[in-house]
Amino acid sequence: MAILLFLTLVGYAAGLLLPLCVPARPKVQNILAHGLAGVAAVGGCCLGITGLLAAKPFEMSVPSTLPLLTFAIRLDPLASFFLLTISLVSLAASIYALGYVTKFYGRVSMSLLGSLFNGFLLSMTLVVIADNGFFFLIVWELMSLISYFLVVTEHEKSDVRYAGLFYLIMTHVGTAFILLTFLLLFQESGSFSFDAFRQPEQSLPDGMKTMVFLTALIGFGTKAGFVPLHVWLPYAHPAAPSHISALMSGVMIKTAIYALVRVCFDFFGGYFPWWWGFVVLAIGAVSAVLGVMYALMEHDLKSLLAYHSVENIGIILLGIGAGMIFHSYGFEELAALGLIAGLYHTINHAIFKALLFFGAGSLLYATHTRNMEEYGGLLRRMPWTGACFLIGAVSIAALPPTNGFISEWLVFQSLFLSYEIPSLFMKLMLPIAAAMLALTGVLALTCFAKAFGISFLALPRSSHAKHAEEVPWPMRIGMGFLAAGCVALGLAPMLAVPIMDRVTASMIGASISEKMLALGGWALTPVNVEFSSISSPVLGLVLAATAAFGLALVALHGGTRAYRYGKTWACGLNVTPRMEYSATGFVQPIKRVFSTIYQPTVKLETDFLEESRYFAKRRRFEFHIEPVFQKYLYDSVVTFMSGLAHRLRIVQAGSLHLYLAYMFVTLVMLLLLAL
Amino acid sequence: MSWLSPHIATQIVDFSSAMLLLTCFAIVAQRRLSACVDLFALQSLFLAMTAALVAFFTGTRHIYIAAALTVVVKVIVIPRVLKGVIERLNVTRELVMRINIPASLLICGALVMIAFFITQPIIPFGHLLTRDSLAIALAIVLIGFFTMISRQKAVTQLIAFLVMENGLFLGATAATYGMPLIVELGVFFDVLVAALIAGIYTNRLQDAFDSVDTTHLTELKE
Repeated sequence: MAILLFLTLVGYAAGLLLPLCVPARPKVQNILAHGLAGVAAVGGCCLGITGLLAAKPFEMSVPSTLPLLTFAIRLDPLASFFLLTISLVSLAASIYALGYVTKFYGRVSMSLLGSLFNGFLLSMTLVVIADNGFFFLIVWELMSLISYFLVVTEHEKSDVRYAGLFYLIMTHVGTAFILLTFLLLFQESGSFSFDAFRQPEQSLPDGMKTMVFLTALIGFGTKAGFVPLHVWLPYAHPAAPSHISALMSGVMIKTAIYALVRVCFDFFGGYFPWWWGFVVLAIGAVSAVLGVMYALMEHDLKSLLAYHSVENIGIILLGIGAGMIFHSYGFEELAALGLIAGLYHTINHAIFKALLFFGAGSLLYATHTRNMEEYGGLLRRMPWTGACFLIGAVSIAALPPTNGFISEWLVFQSLFLSYEIPSLFMKLMLPIAAAMLALTGVLALTCFAKAFGISFLALPRSSHAKHAEEVPWPMRIGMGFLAAGCVALGLAPMLAVPIMDRVTASMIGASISEKMLALGGWALTPVNVEFSSISSPVLGLVLAATAAFGLALVALHGGTRAYRYGKTWACGLNVTPRMEYSATGFVQPIKRVFSTIYQPTVKLETDFLEESRYFAKRRRFEFHIEPVFQKYLYDSVVTFMSGLAHRLRIVQAGSLHLYLAYMFVTLVMLLLLAL
Repeated sequence: MSWLSPHIATQIVDFSSAMLLLTCFAIVAQRRLSACVDLFALQSLFLAMTAALVAFFTGTRHIYIAAALTVVVKVIVIPRVLKGVIERLNVTRELVMRINIPASLLICGALVMIAFFITQPIIPFGHLLTRDSLAIALAIVLIGFFTMISRQKAVTQLIAFLVMENGLFLGATAATYGMPLIVELGVFFDVLVAALIAGIYTNRLQDAFDSVDTTHLTELKE
């Protein structure tokens, strides 16, 4: 195991340093950086699997000269699971990047981009395996900073710089809260090592525990991006290069989920009041619904995907929150189910979100635009990308037989099993959360019907789309790898569930994989066989059989018939792209239904012909939805801060004498106080 | 020195450091710039004398070197540089003051009291013959600092800075019979360079604003 760890860390470190050392030949640097990252990621995958199968956690520690800091590493099942998730996506991203970064040749320093890419992967890997609070903070901060530099890769654009600044501020506010969390824990245990944090004898006072939980929730929440701390995601993710967006959205925000689970179930050993779980559940439900609703209104493909990250983080939190609630009431098996659902969705989301961002990156690569209204008809021109994107879209919309379906189904099951809880309040609340999840699912389906339909079907809406070509092979392989992962995790939950069961068993103590896998693993039954069960392989077979039957019918009957090509009936006009359903038009009904939330402003200007008001010369249609949180929550803080800063500016008079006087008065006061 | 009682030795050192403080007040009360420079040279001479006395009474040889350097750098070189600056820029008088002279003198008196008040708890612990000079040294530092704040011409501020440095040197001599020689050499070099840089800066100020009044620097504020 030490060898695998060594291979992974040294691989990333070499990828970090070597591209900076070789001469400035983009092609060499590209292959070197992403090749090394790929090798290291394979090492990471193996390490994750070994860590999950190992009987007891692998531990390693290197002391440092700084007090309280040791470079301690620990690979328990939870860390291994997240390591595996990160490494899988990293591997795909390394392959994909080989092709994708060619579009930056000559514009961006390839050595820097490749080096930062490796540094980013290295810091993420270290975040989940760090076993010392100090060490964790260092790598966490490194991860944030490197991702900031990656976001501003195309810093010559002003909106990219704005997005980067926004992200930097948000992530530092988050880090401040995380620092507070660790300092509170340090105050009680007297050490920064995670071992000391999880000692059962250092039972914190209840008020202190709550403080730790709340600071951790805010601190890690800014990284995870749940409502209302999600505002940076739709700025930062589209601004970054696509393989970086995939990593940020697919895996980086998961490190926050990891840390939250670590704090609640490891540091506190699962001893917390029920309302913690309820808070997590409520945040999850709100994030899921609002995330998908804002996603629907986006026509920038990458912003749309960024908002879907908010939604999916919400779904993950629903699972984990349900697990926390069950755990605090003593239903260990149900708690394990909730956590497994959350973790399953974590790895699923990592895979299909990265896949979708790769798809968006491929479209950007081929058409040079992110605006969906300028796509159209791309399936014919980019069949590989289209097929992979479709698989990703089906997964994120939670349709069988892909992975998103299985994990969302598990979340539903754990929410429905709330009838066992004695508290009436919880009996009511969990089904409401389930209803919100159902709404989320429907809206997500709509959203991806729009995203796929508008982008890939019908006629090209712009010359960019008309001249699009399929992307190079490394990008196709990267996408294909993840698409295969989506299908595999969907069809074979009997392989995935025992792995996650090891994670929950290590934290909660209840192992439920044997109960969950009925009929020799062919069916999935969440704890209670009478309540519900599902068999995804059979479901997949049925779907495949239906499709085959349909195709057979076509082959038998349609195949023999002669085709006749003619103009579509369109009042005698030729069919043009302007007649197609636009992305805006597609979501118009939803916009109307939820106008209370969107607070839309519509502006319609019409210039009429002077001769007659029946004929319009020109029409202008403008439409905005109100970013509610940004307007009411963040803008008021910004206004307050800048007002305060403005008032404090009188201190900075620019006068040398005044500055000297400040120092003088301070000196005399300190001397007098020192007595 | 066995023929001289320690009590008398202390008295002599205290007297010469008191002369330092007196020249400080004279600088504060003086409007003419060239006189200020002369007073600074005089003060540095007293400083060299104090250092030489300490060296003589305690037998710490290396303080002689520091005293000699003081004479060379602060009594001869720096005053000459400053005089040159004053002549070239044709500024003879400090015309505008933020705080007028009587008020300045009163404040300086208060600062001396504060300095003695602050060092009160420390002095009984010392066994050195220079222990009372510590309060005077602190008073000189504070007065120098105050002069920097209350004067507007860059030349006066430079003199005030050098006065502060004198105070620090006296403090070092008083508290520990001088710093290690290598440190003292470094400090002298630093002061010399600082004075040269400030001279150049003053010239620049004159070129840019046609005046050496540092309040013009406020215009640089955003």
